[in-house]
Amino acid sequence: MTEALFILAIVVITALAFDFTNGFHDTANAMATSIATGALKPKTAVLLAAALNLVGAFLSIQVALTVSNKIIHIQGANGAPVPELMGVPILTIIFAGLVGGILWNIATWLLGLPSSSSHALFGGLIGSAIAALGLDGVKWDGVVSSVILPAFFSPVVAGLVAALGTFVVFKITAAVATGPREKGFRWGQIGSASLVALAHGTNDAQKTMGVITLALIAYGSWTNLESIPLWVKVACAVAIASGTYIGGWRVIRTLGKGLVEISSPQGMAAEFASAAVILSSSHLGMALSTTHVATGSILGSGVGRPGATVRWAVAGRMAIAWIITLPAAAVVGAICWAIAHGVGGALGTGIVFAILVVSASLMFRHSRKTKIDPNNVNEEWDGGLHPKSATSSESKTPVSV
Amino acid sequence: MGEIFLKAFEALWQVLAAGIILGAGLPALFALGIKALGAGRTLAADGTSYTTPATGTGRAGSTILFAICVAAVMFGIFLVVATGFGIKVFGS
Repeated sequence: MTEALFILAIVVITALAFDFTNGFHDTANAMATSIATGALKPKTAVLLAAALNLVGAFLSIQVALTVSNKIIHIQGANGAPVPELMGVPILTIIFAGLVGGILWNIATWLLGLPSSSSHALFGGLIGSAIAALGLDGVKWDGVVSSVILPAFFSPVVAGLVAALGTFVVFKITAAVATGPREKGFRWGQIGSASLVALAHGTNDAQKTMGVITLALIAYGSWTNLESIPLWVKVACAVAIASGTYIGGWRVIRTLGKGLVEISSPQGMAAEFASAAVILSSSHLGMALSTTHVATGSILGSGVGRPGATVRWAVAGRMAIAWIITLPAAAVVGAICWAIAHGVGGALGTGIVFAILVVSASLMFRHSRKTKIDPNNVNEEWDGGLHPKSATSSESKTPVSV
Repeated sequence: MGEIFLKAFEALWQVLAAGIILGAGLPALFALGIKALGAGRTLAADGTSYTTPATGTGRAGSTILFAICVAAVMFGIFLVVATGFGIKVFGS
């Protein structure tokens, strides 16, 4: 095995791992409200979301090479890698960027914070590109127009729409019996949430497909700029769907229980708002972060319902996480590039990969201390992410006689 | 830089318009459907349920309203597919 082939293999594995974290981080975007209101059982919800993500991933033939091309200077106008970066240089940049994205995704999941997976990936790539090529390695115009501006506007737009929808819905159904009302809206919730899950598969699986295809082109084993190898499609679809099925229960809990006390009419209004904003913007060629939209919608559904509980402290924590997502992932991406490039070759890549595996396992182990799963995801929000049943389990250990 | 902002705002108001029409309009239609189902029925004392069955006109009205919502979701699926395969349904 040559050095470049080894690095390519690591890049592909890392990209699929990123796709997996993308899936479990974003399950909440579509399903948090349906789980919180009991419209769907937690396990059913993640299964539905996973199936729709899987299908969604195949519903696109658009060339995904433009995703990385919008923000960093490693490709020419047609999407092909810049000749002098062909091979190991570009593979190293992509690899370090992916590691930055994954580590940020896992860290925010651990804290139960919904943060954009796309921003984590972009941040990682920006960091590794700056480390490798200097500040000119980044297309700052593209970063502002397709990453930073949408991040500020999309939650506001989605929040406005959801607040308006929620307000109108409660106005219309004020005199309706509460039982049938709650039940009826659950159906609307499931329909609109499914739409969000489908759109998520179509938009997000594409990004990883593009990254892997770019790596294959850089290595030289794929030359077609217009299409994606079938095995890449299948692998990415399966990775994002299985991630979705595992379900990021910590993020689901924050979005479904932490931000707003949600009832099914609010949930339906929020999901319809998310679906409308995501679908119309991606159709207009402006891909918004599903996470930003979904969070804005849920917050809006709390604002739109008179007398609803909105936990602004939780929203504030999320906002801070969003702001630092890009720079944080960028710093990790830059450090990883420096190590991989500094040590060089297969060894350098191997070391960074080992760092990724070790830190991911450590964070996962830490999460087991206060486990959040389908059984306690809907427990009462009591000042923080960790459900009582998970934190008090140690003291409940039976005393041996 | 100014151009970037201008372009972003242009796309933004379109998204906001589509969002309000579909994202808030459809929930409103759905809510009207739920309301129609309860039209002309007697509320139980605690307000959680009805003591009389749904009326024929209530059923018919809600069916039409729910059908519009289902059709809109179908259109949404169509839009996902159309976007994925590079077909422009609306917008420039």
